[in-house]
Amino acid sequence: MAMSRQRFAVRNQNSVSFRSTDRRLGPITNTVALIILACLLGLLYLTQVTKTNAFGYSIESLERQQTQLKTEHDNLEVASARLQSLDRVQNSEPAKNLVSVAPASVVQN
Amino acid sequence: MKSSSITSVSVKRVHIWYALIVFVFAIFVVRLFYLQIIQHDHYKTAAQSDQYKEYEIAASRGIIKAHDGDRTIPIVLNHQLFTIYADPQLVKDKKKTADALIKVLGGDRKKYENAIAAQGRYQVLAKKVTQEQRDTLLKYKLAGIGAQAQEYRTYPQGTLAAQLLGFVDDAGVGKYGIEQSLNKQLTGTPGELKAVTDINGVPLAASEDNVRKPAKSGNDVVLTIDIGMQKQVEQLLQQGLQTAKSSSGSVVVLDAKTGAVKAMANYPTYDPANYAQVTDANLFNNMAITEALEVGSVMKPLTAAAALDLGVVKPNSTYYDQSKIKVDDAVVSNIEEDGGPGTKNIADILNLSLNTGATWLLMQMGSGELNRQGRQAWHDYMSNHYLFGKPTGIEQGYENPGTVPSPTSGYGLNITYANTSFGQAMTATTLQMAGAYAAMLNGGTYNQPHLLESTIKNDGSVAKNKPKILVQRAVKPEVSKEMQPLLEYVVAKHHFKRKFSDAYSVGGKTGTAQIANPAGGYLEHDFNGTYIGFVGGNTPEYVIAVRVDRPKIAGYAGSQAAQPIFGDVAHMLIDNFNVPTKG
Repeated sequence: MAMSRQRFAVRNQNSVSFRSTDRRLGPITNTVALIILACLLGLLYLTQVTKTNAFGYSIESLERQQTQLKTEHDNLEVASARLQSLDRVQNSEPAKNLVSVAPASVVQN
Repeated sequence: MKSSSITSVSVKRVHIWYALIVFVFAIFVVRLFYLQIIQHDHYKTAAQSDQYKEYEIAASRGIIKAHDGDRTIPIVLNHQLFTIYADPQLVKDKKKTADALIKVLGGDRKKYENAIAAQGRYQVLAKKVTQEQRDTLLKYKLAGIGAQAQEYRTYPQGTLAAQLLGFVDDAGVGKYGIEQSLNKQLTGTPGELKAVTDINGVPLAASEDNVRKPAKSGNDVVLTIDIGMQKQVEQLLQQGLQTAKSSSGSVVVLDAKTGAVKAMANYPTYDPANYAQVTDANLFNNMAITEALEVGSVMKPLTAAAALDLGVVKPNSTYYDQSKIKVDDAVVSNIEEDGGPGTKNIADILNLSLNTGATWLLMQMGSGELNRQGRQAWHDYMSNHYLFGKPTGIEQGYENPGTVPSPTSGYGLNITYANTSFGQAMTATTLQMAGAYAAMLNGGTYNQPHLLESTIKNDGSVAKNKPKILVQRAVKPEVSKEMQPLLEYVVAKHHFKRKFSDAYSVGGKTGTAQIANPAGGYLEHDFNGTYIGFVGGNTPEYVIAVRVDRPKIAGYAGSQAAQPIFGDVAHMLIDNFNVPTKG
């Protein structure tokens, strides 16, 4: 009995054990990780594309505004030209009150 | 033993599921490979046909400006109006749609109902609809009804210079006048937008395939005409034609020194904004340029200047006029007021408008007789010095070059050429006559008559139009100086309603031209009246050419119909346009 205890005592003298920790990801984990990574990249791409495309709406809105302003400008230019037209000026109240300076008499030579 | 068996089954199942997932993925991969790689082009085309839109961006047509005193103002502009259209297949409530259209646009219910019920997918309901009308209509949110913007030409000055300006047709092409002649410059370059769009047609900015090329507007052009002068000339022409009982006529006012057209009026005229309502297409023609006529005695000063330039006569040369000259089988005679047979000089030839005198001048070019030498010399002056028979190249559509008979081939050459010396048997436009007079009076330089003063490009830069000198020496400067007092003498000897001040130099010559009968010979009772003259100080400032067609007033067409219009225009220029005085 003592012999056998001694034998065990010798064997258990080293209380520190070294175990191999060689952990590897399995194929499923790898696949899932890759899918998640691809999804993240896809999400990133989509957010950037959506963000860029949103500028398209801003550009569209600004262009619409620019066209409207140009049309308004053109219309005002036309209105201004009409208001200054010779017929309108000639028939205006101040023009009607003007006195002609043309000679009234007729001279023959 | 039992536990070991269960573990083995689980592992097997996992493997089966794993294999199944891999298999499903494999199916996806194969299918996607087929769709995205093998069928790539097919699906790309199919997707692009829905998403990829191509738009043409319309370019604005350049505007036309003219002088108003010292400033320039637009006389032809663009105005955006709308075409209202229906897609009958999309119209849901036809009655409601027709009601709204009538309420906003007015018009006939039947017309709208027929259009909405028609086959096809594009039915025009109304054109030239204003922005306000369009906005009101779109508020109704009618299914199948849309509005399309379109630029139209607008003319703030109404009918002013209508034939000179021309118009733009529905296809955006300039017709007649400046619009036709400068169509290339006025028309811009359309832009284009090719883009992947969303469902509403809004371009998505992230697409690499987007193409955006902005439209390039047409160039603006500035004309030489002064609208104040143009307006008054048009009024004076219309009044003059009414007095002369004539239905049509033209006036051209040319800057004698540069050839710039300052006013060019025709009567009758039309409204270019409503050109589609014109029933007689002749109204579109700028008659001062498109219609050549036998000009009559206004040719005599040019004949005299040619003879003086050749040195075959002197300003004080005299000859004995027998009131008629026999040429081959024909007789050249004068009008009744020729003063009878007697000794005459060049001033008399012009003042009394002697056909025999003009024939005598032609004879001097042939060393005293009507012959080939004289005909060739006079032909050279008509064709190469005064440029008859050739278009001036003015910026107008359909210019008529006129005609000059050959000096060497044909029938009855001597009598034909005798006729050309007093403005018959050849034709010229009113503008050609004004151009030739300007060359004769400004020292001898024939400047190309022109309407384009400058072009304003898109970037705002201004390109001045450099008018060409067509003939460097139409006549010698000294001959030019001799002609001015000769024409002043003619004006001084003729009656004008209002006398000209001695502070100004005013000269001119009448013409009463026979009209060729299409059946042969000349019409017996119809004549055209012409008057070409100038007004200025020490040198002529403006050349004025007047044409009156078939006046019904008593007396000679030149002196009774055209001369009063010349007088009115000359006074108008002196009164309003800073004609320099002598001194």
